[in-house]
Amino acid sequence: MSDTLTHSERIEAGLTKRYRAEKRFRLYGIAAIAVAMAFLVIMLAAIGIRGIGAFQQTEVALTVVFDETHIKDNNWQAIVKESMRKKFPEVTSRSDKRLLTQLMSSGAGFNLQNMYRADPSLVGETRTVWLTASDDVDMLMKGAIDRASPQSERRVSDKEIVWIDSLIADGALELKFNTHFFTGGDSREPELAGIFGAFMGSIFSLAVCFLLSFPLGVMTAIYLEEFAPKNRWTDVIEVNINNLAAVPSIVFGLLGLAVFLNFFMLPRSAPLVGGMVLALMTLPTIIIASRAALRAVPPSIREAAWGMGASSVQTVLHHVLPLAMPGMLTGTIIGMAQALGESAPLLMIGMVAFIVDIPGSFTDPATALPVQIFLWADSPERAFTERTAAAIIVLLVFLVTMNLIAVVLRKKFERRW
Amino acid sequence: MYVTPARRAQKAVEAVIKGILIASSTVAILTTVGIVASLLFESLRFFGEVPLTDFLFGLEWSPQTAMRADQVGSSGSFGAIPLFAGTLLISAIALIIATPIGLFAAIYLAEYAHVSVRNWVKPILEILAGIPTVVYGFFAALVVAPWLRGGGESIGLDVSSESALAAGLVMGVMIIPLISSLSDDVINAVPQTMRDGSFGLGATKSETIRNVVLPAALPGIMGGLLLAASRAIGETMIVVMAAGLASNLTANPLQAVTTVTVQIVTLLTGDQEFDSAKTLAAFALGLMLFFTTLVLNVVALHIVKKYREQYE
Repeated sequence: MSDTLTHSERIEAGLTKRYRAEKRFRLYGIAAIAVAMAFLVIMLAAIGIRGIGAFQQTEVALTVVFDETHIKDNNWQAIVKESMRKKFPEVTSRSDKRLLTQLMSSGAGFNLQNMYRADPSLVGETRTVWLTASDDVDMLMKGAIDRASPQSERRVSDKEIVWIDSLIADGALELKFNTHFFTGGDSREPELAGIFGAFMGSIFSLAVCFLLSFPLGVMTAIYLEEFAPKNRWTDVIEVNINNLAAVPSIVFGLLGLAVFLNFFMLPRSAPLVGGMVLALMTLPTIIIASRAALRAVPPSIREAAWGMGASSVQTVLHHVLPLAMPGMLTGTIIGMAQALGESAPLLMIGMVAFIVDIPGSFTDPATALPVQIFLWADSPERAFTERTAAAIIVLLVFLVTMNLIAVVLRKKFERRW
Repeated sequence: MYVTPARRAQKAVEAVIKGILIASSTVAILTTVGIVASLLFESLRFFGEVPLTDFLFGLEWSPQTAMRADQVGSSGSFGAIPLFAGTLLISAIALIIATPIGLFAAIYLAEYAHVSVRNWVKPILEILAGIPTVVYGFFAALVVAPWLRGGGESIGLDVSSESALAAGLVMGVMIIPLISSLSDDVINAVPQTMRDGSFGLGATKSETIRNVVLPAALPGIMGGLLLAASRAIGETMIVVMAAGLASNLTANPLQAVTTVTVQIVTLLTGDQEFDSAKTLAAFALGLMLFFTTLVLNVVALHIVKKYREQYE
């Protein structure tokens, strides 16, 4: 008979199954976290592996003669050409000579020009200089071009490899730290492309963004938290701010395009406009953080100030605001970090142009760091992929630093009342 | 007394200060007004050229032909259905990936994890939310898409190099922290007494979570999912870099589709005449995007607020 099982026995029988279900459920949770973390690690590793190479650049040691006629013609590349030919006197045919000069970057002449500008007495002198090699040589050195593959499938021919090997054997071809990446502007040639132009664009935009959004955000927060009467109007402002925080960033770009560019006729591609758009975008973040900081200041502080005869404005400006400032700054830094990583609205206002010059003011055409990443990611050259990943590494380093500063600030000024 | 004249000056100064504070709080309102006004204004100009019904219900999107006004067949076609479908497909993929991962991570962190584990894991998950979207876009376009393509080839599937799957997958990773932190909040807001009641009846922890905590937290979780959906729909850089440019009405995640945000970017980047239907179409799309995300956000915030009040 089935009911010989007692009640507790029936429960026991189900228990193993239930405990197994319990264990499984727990495992799902751990698996979910593991998957999310794995994504993060894979993403950072994939970018790190691709980008780390760009911090080095292949350079060639050449003995160059600062020939007076070439300097007069401003033909610096000819100096590079001649010294390459001198290095390989056995190369005679026209096409081979061309191949030979192609080992060097078309920007190698600029290095010489800069040397001459710094020291005009170089005319007629002979010097040994390390000059930038072309991106194909660079990719070969870094293993991105496979020597073993058939000649027709790689961008570096067998002849060139022989020359490169002889240069390596002489100790005249080395991977060196890529300073140009940090000091140069954009370029069509990957070996000459740097992030400094985009970096300056980002700095100018962020400066405008900070100067607008920090005071506006803090003042709005003070009004809403300390002075505003509880009525329909303040409700509208509150709902509005919460919704603005969730508006897609590209919509802010459309606003900037329609209002700042087409209506107010501000210049296209300018960090000024970029900063204004980013300011509107980060404003909700700063307001929300600043209000939280104000709310954290206990009412006893205000009451004490009022008790001493201070007016509301004095209470807020002299007592509440200084105590809430660290919290506001933390929120602002996080908002700035968001603005630094934002690119979609900048695309709308024309900060996606190809700009070689380093921007020097708020109205010079510029791009921003994330937009530069977007532009390079589109370039077909292998060497650009490497630079894109390297630019991402630089961007992430900045973001991590900003967030760490925010965390440290918060820890340092954290107060329990 | 020496107070009187000084006091008058103070009052005036303080009135000015208050005036400035009030003025600055209207900037947020002006921003919204500016967004709505500029989108509406340009969209109305667009709908003057292209009928609203053609835009909302048309099945063909090819704005390129509109560039040459003097040519035959220059009208172009502005049927936005393929764009809406593409946006929904990619967002759906993202949510299908992010919801279970985000939800289970939140459940584990809120109900099982030791405080020290929680203190480590939460900030690490938040890193995912802090990474710029252009980085996700790079990852999707240059790492994930080739992997999927290679993987598909090896099992005989034809995966497009700009597949909806690659963009959706990476977008899913991006919204995991959004779902997990919002769900974490609402799960923590469920009162301990409800759990204790369930334990008292002999339920195991997972049974309590499934039968008591999750049903109680469901409205809040739904609100979080709506917010995540709104983020996915409005996301731009990932799809611009990893999704397709040509419109394609399909539900196959292995094919390339285009989205509303991709089209806004492609229509408006580069030098353009500002009165062609082509550029104005971008504002009409922006208007659709703004209202969709606005409705999602308002509903989501309302649900979450109602839910909080329930347990306060």
